[in-house]
Amino acid sequence: MSKSKSNKAAKVATEKRDMLLDLLKLQGAQVYNDLDKGKFPQFSVPSRSVSNIVYDKKLRQYILGNAASLRSSRNMSQLRSFTQLMWLAFFANRLVHEKKSSTLRDVYYSSQAFEVEFEDQPESDNIIVDLEAVLARPREDFHIFPEERSSIFGDLTIEYTVPGYEGKRTNLSNHPDGYLIGPSLSSAELVDTSAELVIAIEKGGLFTRFIEEKVDKKFKAIIVDTAGQAPRATRYLLKRLHEQMKLPVVILTDGDVYGEHIAMVIKSGSANAAHLRELTVPDAKWMGVWASDIDKFKLPTIPMTESDIKRIYDLQKDPRYQEGIWKTELEIFLKIKRKAELEAFSKYGLTNITDKYLPQKLELSKSL
Amino acid sequence: MSKEVFNQISPSEFFYRNRDLAGFSNPTRSLYTAVREFVENGLDACDQQGILPDIHLYIKAVDPEKPDPKPYVLTVKDNGPGMDSNQIPLAFGTVLYGSKFGLKQARGMFGLGATMAILYGQITTNKPVTVSSSVDGKTLHKYEMMLDIQKNKPVIMKHTKEETNKKGLNVSITLDGDYSKAGSKIRDYVYQTSLITPYATITFDDPKGEKFQYKRIVDTMPPAPTIIRPHPHGVDVETIRRMIADTHYQVPVLDNAMIDKVKKELGLSKKSLNFEGIMARAEKKWSSLSRPVRVIVSVMSFLNMDFDKIMKIRLEDIDLVHKRLTYYDFGDSKLVTVDMPKSSSYYKQLANTVQGDSLVTFLTKRFQRIGQATAIKFSEFANLKAEKRIGSFTNEELVQLSDSLQKYEDFLTPDPSCLAPLGEEPLRKGMSQFFKPDFLEVYQRSASAYSGFPFVVEMGIAYGGNIPPGKMTVYRFANRIPLLYDEGSDVVLKVVNETDWNRYKVKNESPVVIVSHICSTRIPYKTVGKENVADREEIEKEIRLALQYLSRKLAAYMSKRGLAEIEKKRANLYLKYLPLIAQFSTELAGKNKEPDYKKVIKDLNNVQVEEQ
Repeated sequence: MSKSKSNKAAKVATEKRDMLLDLLKLQGAQVYNDLDKGKFPQFSVPSRSVSNIVYDKKLRQYILGNAASLRSSRNMSQLRSFTQLMWLAFFANRLVHEKKSSTLRDVYYSSQAFEVEFEDQPESDNIIVDLEAVLARPREDFHIFPEERSSIFGDLTIEYTVPGYEGKRTNLSNHPDGYLIGPSLSSAELVDTSAELVIAIEKGGLFTRFIEEKVDKKFKAIIVDTAGQAPRATRYLLKRLHEQMKLPVVILTDGDVYGEHIAMVIKSGSANAAHLRELTVPDAKWMGVWASDIDKFKLPTIPMTESDIKRIYDLQKDPRYQEGIWKTELEIFLKIKRKAELEAFSKYGLTNITDKYLPQKLELSKSL
Repeated sequence: MSKEVFNQISPSEFFYRNRDLAGFSNPTRSLYTAVREFVENGLDACDQQGILPDIHLYIKAVDPEKPDPKPYVLTVKDNGPGMDSNQIPLAFGTVLYGSKFGLKQARGMFGLGATMAILYGQITTNKPVTVSSSVDGKTLHKYEMMLDIQKNKPVIMKHTKEETNKKGLNVSITLDGDYSKAGSKIRDYVYQTSLITPYATITFDDPKGEKFQYKRIVDTMPPAPTIIRPHPHGVDVETIRRMIADTHYQVPVLDNAMIDKVKKELGLSKKSLNFEGIMARAEKKWSSLSRPVRVIVSVMSFLNMDFDKIMKIRLEDIDLVHKRLTYYDFGDSKLVTVDMPKSSSYYKQLANTVQGDSLVTFLTKRFQRIGQATAIKFSEFANLKAEKRIGSFTNEELVQLSDSLQKYEDFLTPDPSCLAPLGEEPLRKGMSQFFKPDFLEVYQRSASAYSGFPFVVEMGIAYGGNIPPGKMTVYRFANRIPLLYDEGSDVVLKVVNETDWNRYKVKNESPVVIVSHICSTRIPYKTVGKENVADREEIEKEIRLALQYLSRKLAAYMSKRGLAEIEKKRANLYLKYLPLIAQFSTELAGKNKEPDYKKVIKDLNNVQVEEQ
């Protein structure tokens, strides 16, 4: 059974890859034909300006509106970025064809071999986002990964698709430090698992604690370290774990406004990635640390900074924070103006968080 | 009691003692000044005769091995009209011999400088000056001579004649100089002189064996300046005195030639008569006598003298106001004054001759732009009788006349026909040849005047081309002479520095050259060095207006240039990026052959037009 599941998954992955390559070819052909006809090539890039980012209640995420800007090679001020975008498409095409991966920084340097210069990495990062918007695909699809890596641990068998490892399987509980969610893991097929849920946790320290305390076994969980704001590959993996393996996702973050938003991004995406759709887990649940937990569990706190408070006001304008615990917790944070980190539970012993807090929360999550 | 001794000194000696004033203070300055004097004399000579000048300057060290300062041979050769053989000794061998005493624009003032250079050369090296001249293009007169400084007299050492086929003058002197220090100044001078004299060919062979050659750029000479009468605002008491003196008939000099002339006209060359006889003969022949002879006869009648007696006196003064005649008697060695009875018919003759013109006639005849009506109005203004003969003016009246001439405001502005600006076209061509600029504009203001002296300002501005970026360069000229130094307080630089160049889109490092040429019968120099022009209000205004006009033109060009540069940049960008786009799209589209993107680049020109 697992075999056929795997085949099907592999087939989906291949299809997806071919679709991307077709898309790149299509874009390339369009530019090629324009040039061949003596026309200045151009293409439209969905506008990522704030005014074009709207919240889609149905999709429960931010999406881009219909506004698009025309990027033309005729326009002198766009010629350079047009060329950069073409180069990136060309580069991505090679990466996908050759099944190689690259990083944001890598892209920045690779460009220099083609006389396409980027002023700095932010400029090349920006062009990568442009290409994502044009293709409506995350950069990970065309094998470009950020530097930051998050990790995963638990009973999950995967099958690699990267060159040299095709067909090779690994169980993600084999190594006690966990596995980096890198290009090969991101592109691997999810074969089998005995886990019943996924716990995404904001901090590496607690991730290690959870492994040591055998949370994976005790709660039949796959543990994911988001390492702060979850990278897209991690969010994509969470989505696949939820959709393909039918696992519920719970999220544990620090008890502050940033933690709350980390959970929200996993659940419904970020405005920055409004041009991408397959990165959200709308059913994911944020289980703590809530503002209300601070008092309830008598956690030691730190006073909020001005920027914390400003962030609360900002988020209160976000349509996703208009209801439920998202709204109430923000209000409490604003009221108490204090925050607590996940490590705060250590005041009551190192295993307090896994022995007391986690079970309560997991229990509670079932009823939400 | 000690007695103070008064010695008369000759002009040569005076100038030698005051050579600093003339620019011969040290070997560096002297070499430079000598070059200027000879080159400018050559140019002036050609200008006056309407000859396109060819000036060749050579400086050679007598002994190249010696350290500076050391003797140099300086030679300047021109293709001018040359100088009559018999004038050469006086012109080059005496100080204060010159022909430039008229009122018109010329480079040098009186031609003193060349003699000063010769004098300086002789003092420092004890070598003679060599002057070769041909006025007919056939015979060349060559003089070698020295100056007798005490006597202000030339001493001719050698005079030879040769055949030649070229007109012109060649002057060569040996003088102590310091070329290592003066060199850059001299080279600048030659360069800038060529710039403002585009109708001349100027070459310079320097002592180090370098040759500088500035070929003629235009073949038309600017119209030569004409000699004109002075403007009433531009004269002082002393000038008026001099004008009056040469207006009326001068007190005759009683020399042998004059006496011979009188005798001849009376038919007494071989016959001697007594006083009465002479008077009788004169009365008989009166109508046929020339004016000077009549004057002498009148004087003889008052003095009761025959030819023998009158040969022994010198006339000192004929004072018509007091009807007195004063003479110096060589025999008695004393001054004698006699009264002139008004009743004598000879008195009237003398009076009319000596008193000269009436004030009105004097004004209309001797000044520019004064007509009968103006002269009469002025007489009323000055409270002087219009019909009064100027020879009878007292000192007080002369001062009154001079003051009133300055104060009277209804005279017409000075006549600029005595000025010789270069002209817009020659200036444009000269600048164009020198700087090969991307932008060039020239402008000549119409004539204006300050204190009775007419002047004209012409300017040019050039941008880019061969002009190196850096500080803006201002070339200043006055009467076609480059002003090289002491620029600090010069009126042109003042105006340039006060200009807000940002307004004209000129940045600090912009390659800009400004040429300014002020022409006037009298340039108001600030210092003796004659290197900077004083900021007279009228001159400053003209310069400002000229510069504003040019700057606006430059600004318009700079805006256009800005656009053009953007276009160029654009074209370059397309050339850079389109091939890359073609390369990437070829691989993306899975094609083997690159698209024919060159068509797009070919269409670039159309795009530019379209987007402008």
